[in-house]
Amino acid sequence: MKKILLFSLLAVLFFQTSCTDQCTETRKFKRFTPVTVGLADIRQGIKTEQARELINPGKIYIKGNYLLINEIKQGLHVVDNTNPAAPRLVSFIKIPGNGDMAVRGNILYADSYTDLVALNITDPTAIREVGREKEVFLNGQFDGAGWSLNTSTGVINDQNMEIVTETIKTDCENNGSGGVWPRGWFFAADNRAMAQSAAPSTSGPNQGQAGSMARFALYDNYLYTVSQSDLQLFDIRTPESPRRGNKINLGWGIETIFPYRDKLFIGSNTGMFIYDNRNPEKPERLSVFQHAFACDPVVVHENRAYVTLRSGTMCNRGQNQLDVVDITDLRAPKLLKTYQMQNPHGLGVDFPHLYVCEGKHGLKSFDAKSDFDLKQLQHLTGMDAYDVIPLSNKSLLMIGKDGLYQFDTSNPAKLQQISKIPVKRVEI
Amino acid sequence: MKLLKSNITRPFLSIVLTICTHSLIGSFTHHAQAQFKPHYVNMTELGGLFGRVVYDIPWSNPPVSEVENRVNLTIQTFNGVQLKPRLAVGATVGVDWYNTALLMPLAAGARYDLARSKKNVTLFGSLDAGYSVNWLHTDGTGYNTRGGMMLNPGLGLKIGLKSGSALTLSLTYKRQDAQVTKPLGWGEIEKWEDRTYNRMALRMGVMF
Repeated sequence: MKKILLFSLLAVLFFQTSCTDQCTETRKFKRFTPVTVGLADIRQGIKTEQARELINPGKIYIKGNYLLINEIKQGLHVVDNTNPAAPRLVSFIKIPGNGDMAVRGNILYADSYTDLVALNITDPTAIREVGREKEVFLNGQFDGAGWSLNTSTGVINDQNMEIVTETIKTDCENNGSGGVWPRGWFFAADNRAMAQSAAPSTSGPNQGQAGSMARFALYDNYLYTVSQSDLQLFDIRTPESPRRGNKINLGWGIETIFPYRDKLFIGSNTGMFIYDNRNPEKPERLSVFQHAFACDPVVVHENRAYVTLRSGTMCNRGQNQLDVVDITDLRAPKLLKTYQMQNPHGLGVDFPHLYVCEGKHGLKSFDAKSDFDLKQLQHLTGMDAYDVIPLSNKSLLMIGKDGLYQFDTSNPAKLQQISKIPVKRVEI
Repeated sequence: MKLLKSNITRPFLSIVLTICTHSLIGSFTHHAQAQFKPHYVNMTELGGLFGRVVYDIPWSNPPVSEVENRVNLTIQTFNGVQLKPRLAVGATVGVDWYNTALLMPLAAGARYDLARSKKNVTLFGSLDAGYSVNWLHTDGTGYNTRGGMMLNPGLGLKIGLKSGSALTLSLTYKRQDAQVTKPLGWGEIEKWEDRTYNRMALRMGVMF
C-alpha cells in the first residue's frame, strides 16, 4: 500500500514539474555600430574598378542601354544592357558613401556622403570625376543607418549595419519583445527597406530613369536632391560643374522625391508634400497631404496615385496594403480604395498595368483599369521582389535580394523572365 | 506526507489512490470473452489544462524571469470502435482554449483497459496523437498563428453505470506545438514565436 502511495505521489509531482510551457520568440533585426570616415578618404576614393558581383544592391537607374545599380555605400555597378537577355557587368565605379544617382547626357551625378560629385561616363570603363560640390548634404542614411557630417573635425560619423538574431523566452501570449526599438534612436530609420519603386519620370531626351524612392531628380536646368530635412537645388546649366542653388526647408524626415510632369511629390514620414514646379528655380508648395502613407512608395499615373504600406518599417502600422488615391485635386487627395497585400515594397505603373513587389512573396501584376476592382493577373513566387521599373519597351526591371531580373511584359498575365543577374549575398 | 497539503493535489490523490487500490486489489474479470462483437464507442470529456510558464521580462537588464500559472479549458470527443474487449481505436477531435490560441486537435486515438475492479471501475490507458489546426482561431492584425503536433498520453478511470454507459475521469500529459509569426517593429526583419504547451490535462466525461 505504501508503495502505491509513493508511486502516485511521484507521478503527480512529475506531472507538476514537467508542465511548463516553453515559448521562445526569435527575431532578426538590424544592429548599428558607429564608425568614423575621414573626408580625405572619401574625396580620394573615386575610381573605376573591375566589375564585381552584386552583394547589397540599392537603387537602380536606367540610362539608355546602361543600367546603374547602386551597391550601398560602395559605389555603382555599370551594366551593359544592350541585350536584355544577357546583361553584362562592365565596371564598378567606387564612390564612398554613395546611395543615389542621376544621369543627364554623359554626366553622372552621385552623392558621396556629404559631397555631390559629377562624373563623366562617356567611357564606362574609364570614368572621370569632373566636378564636386563639397559639404552639401549634412546627414543621410543607408540601410537604415544614419550618418552625419561633423564640420568641426571634418569627419563623417557613420554606422555599420549588421543583422542580428535574438531569442528570448516569452509568456506564450504574443507579448515578447513587442515592436519597441530599445537601444536605437531616431537616426536609425529604415530607409532602404522603404526604398524604391518606380514612377514614370519626366525624362528629357537625354536623361535617365529612376525609381520613385530616389532622392535625386532632374528637371529642366536643375538637379533636385532631398536630404532628411531640405530640398536642395543644383544648377546644372554647365553639366560638368553643378552649382549649389536654392535650399528649401521641408521639415524632418524627408524620404523621397519624384517628379511627375510639372509637379514634385516629396515623401516624408509625416506627410506627402506636393510642389508646383512650373518655375523650376523656385518650387512652390501646393499642399501637404497628411495621410499616414507618406513615407511609403508611391507611383502616379494621371490623376491616380498608387501607394503601398507594409509592416516592418519605421512607419509601421501593421498594415500590408495597396491604396488607390484620387489626386485630381492636388490640394485635396482622396483615398478611393484599399487592397490587402502580403508585404508590399516597391511598385511600378505602366497603365493599365500595375506591378507590386511583395518582398519574399514575389512579384504581382495587376490590371488597374478600374480603381475599385483591381484584378490580379499573375503572382510570381520563388524570388525576392523589392523594386520594379516598368520600361516603355514592354519590359520590366525588378531588383530583389537575390538578383536583378528582367521580364518581358508583352502579356502582363504571363511575364517572361528574360535574364537575371544574381546577387551574392548571404543574409538580409 | 507534508507534500500532500496542497489543496489541489489532495483530492486528486485520494481519487488516484482509490482507483489504484480498487484496480490492483480487486480481481480483473472478463465479462464478455465469448460473445464480444466490435461496436461503436464514444468518449466525450471536458476539463482543464494545467501548467505554468517561465519567461524573460523583455529588455530587463540583468535578465529577470517571471513565472505565471496557466489553466485553460479543453473539450474533446473520442469516437471509435471497440475492437477487442480491452481495446478501442478511433479518432479524437477537440477544442483547446489557450490564452492566445484557439486550437483544434485532430488526432488518432486509442483506449486500452488495464484493470477492472469488482465495483465496475476500470483503469484505462489512453493515447491521442495528431495535429492541431487553427480553423477556429482568429488572429490580431499582423499575427499569424498556426497549430502543430499534439501528443496526449495518460491514464483514466471508467466508473461503470447500470445502463452500460460510464463516467470517466482522466489525468493525461498534453504536449502541443504551435507557431506564431508576429508583426515587425522598427528595424526588424523577421519575428516569430515557437510554442510548446506542456500541460497536465484533468478531464471528466462520459463514455458509451
